[in-house]
Amino acid sequence: MIDRLNRGNKAMLRTGLLGTIAFALSLTAAPAQMNHQHASEAACDESVLRCASKVTPTFAPDGTLWLAWMAGGQVSVASSKDGGHSFSIPVQVSKEHLNLDWGPDARPKIVVDRKGCIALAFSVFRDKAFNGQVLTTRSTDGGKSFDELRPITSSNESQRFEALGLDADGSVFAAWLDKRNRVPAEQSGQKYDGAGLFFASSKDGGATYSEARLAADNTCECCRLGLAFAAPGHPVVVFRNIFDGGVRDHAIVTFADPATPGEVRRVSKDDWQIAACPHHGPSLAISATGTYHVTWYTNGKARKGLFYARSQDEGRTFSDPIPVGRADRNPTRPYILAGPRGMTVVWKEFDGEKTTVNLMTSRDDGQSWSKPTAVAATTDTSDHPLLVSDGQNTFLSWMTKADGYRIQPIGDGS
Amino acid sequence: MTRHLLAGVFLVGLLLSATASEAPQQLKPFVRGSWQDVLRSHAGRPTLVHFWGVTCGPCKVELPLLGKFMTDHAGIDVVTISADLVPDLPGATRSMLEKAGLWSAENWTFSDGFVERLRFEIDPAWQGDIPRTILISRDGTMTTIEGSAEMKELEKWSDQQLAVKR
Repeated sequence: MIDRLNRGNKAMLRTGLLGTIAFALSLTAAPAQMNHQHASEAACDESVLRCASKVTPTFAPDGTLWLAWMAGGQVSVASSKDGGHSFSIPVQVSKEHLNLDWGPDARPKIVVDRKGCIALAFSVFRDKAFNGQVLTTRSTDGGKSFDELRPITSSNESQRFEALGLDADGSVFAAWLDKRNRVPAEQSGQKYDGAGLFFASSKDGGATYSEARLAADNTCECCRLGLAFAAPGHPVVVFRNIFDGGVRDHAIVTFADPATPGEVRRVSKDDWQIAACPHHGPSLAISATGTYHVTWYTNGKARKGLFYARSQDEGRTFSDPIPVGRADRNPTRPYILAGPRGMTVVWKEFDGEKTTVNLMTSRDDGQSWSKPTAVAATTDTSDHPLLVSDGQNTFLSWMTKADGYRIQPIGDGS
Repeated sequence: MTRHLLAGVFLVGLLLSATASEAPQQLKPFVRGSWQDVLRSHAGRPTLVHFWGVTCGPCKVELPLLGKFMTDHAGIDVVTISADLVPDLPGATRSMLEKAGLWSAENWTFSDGFVERLRFEIDPAWQGDIPRTILISRDGTMTTIEGSAEMKELEKWSDQQLAVKR
């Protein structure tokens, strides 16, 4: 009896201790796990689409929808032949784990040409100081495999915020923000603000790029670029610049050809004088009429919030900015697209609990706009809303942590 | 069995002692409600709250200046909050705070992926630009400085606060 009792007591003691250990472990592990779930932008840690924090769509000329996304330390690509209802088995563009740029305005870029050649670009952090590196790759077998990752430039200074565009002749135009000019400036004892807007082109579907060249120096260093084509061979880039006095307002540059940047012109005088990273870049679309359409965020003295303006003279002058979204709902992340039947702008609004994607359309090339309507919502963190067109319809592309990825057709002024 | 039990007890002891000894030096997780915690715990004391991020260029320049400010102004509570989009970079965050002389400040890091909601609780109009500094006076008055703060401005505010008798 005593022996049994002792055994029983030992068993209980063991159970109790194991319970204590488990409890102690749970005290440390559970908050860590909970913290991870809450702290992450992503719903899960794998490389699958459901775990993505950023998803970028594009339609190939044959109507295939392609996605490139960041998830689980990888950039993956998949395609859909049925408008996003089902996707091919994802292909990771590299075998190694990538230290991907997780800045708010970072995301993989993807273009697909008429031959089905896929060009990709994205940024990684190259060191512990968070200096960036733009990596590129391409696929010539329909996305089954990708070339080895290559830096877009041989410079070892920081590069981030790349943009890719497919020109009419199939060449790929790339622009990015590059800190290489900081070094010679500081060596000569001069202060260097921001970054340089650099560019290059690829004539082989994104396998190799021409030597990097400067389009504009001392731009803001932490916002995405807007890129579109005014005509074949004429890329246009809109970016947050640093004007005299540290004013971070928007500027635009039209290229005479893919190797010749034109004059830097100002989009608007918002007068946002700030030594900070806004992490909130602009969006550009150019309609068939040649009108430039720009939407952006500012917190300037002249105006605060999201704005839209248009230019009918290649960016020399812009219309008076009109506000976008409800000022009391914190409108953010505007994106504009010239669709088959008109202009569309989407942006996010937040009421303290719920994020909605709102939309407005224009049938007269941006002269007047529809009343905004909410077209999607989520109650947890979300990617920027994007627009994409297959040439017939316009779609909202939006990744959310709570509800996953969605691509939904929307009205576009038709 | 006894050995296992002792090992278990030792493990529990280790876990508890590790948690206890590291607690004062850890970055505090900034989650829903943390902003009110910050306001409550510093109520009645002049407090400088600085929002920054490890990838933010202007922040790298300003952080050491704030470290010196903290050293020179013992009467001001200094709170830092790493407000990057994705947190969970305690190594980099700590390293930068240490280099700037700010590790002994009250340091928080965003620990909720829904950063819009965290920012909304602090300032509904804040869209995430960093650096950003909020000066909280003894009477609770808040002054927001967008972008890098001018140290002269901070000095002036500090002098005013420390001159006010409670």
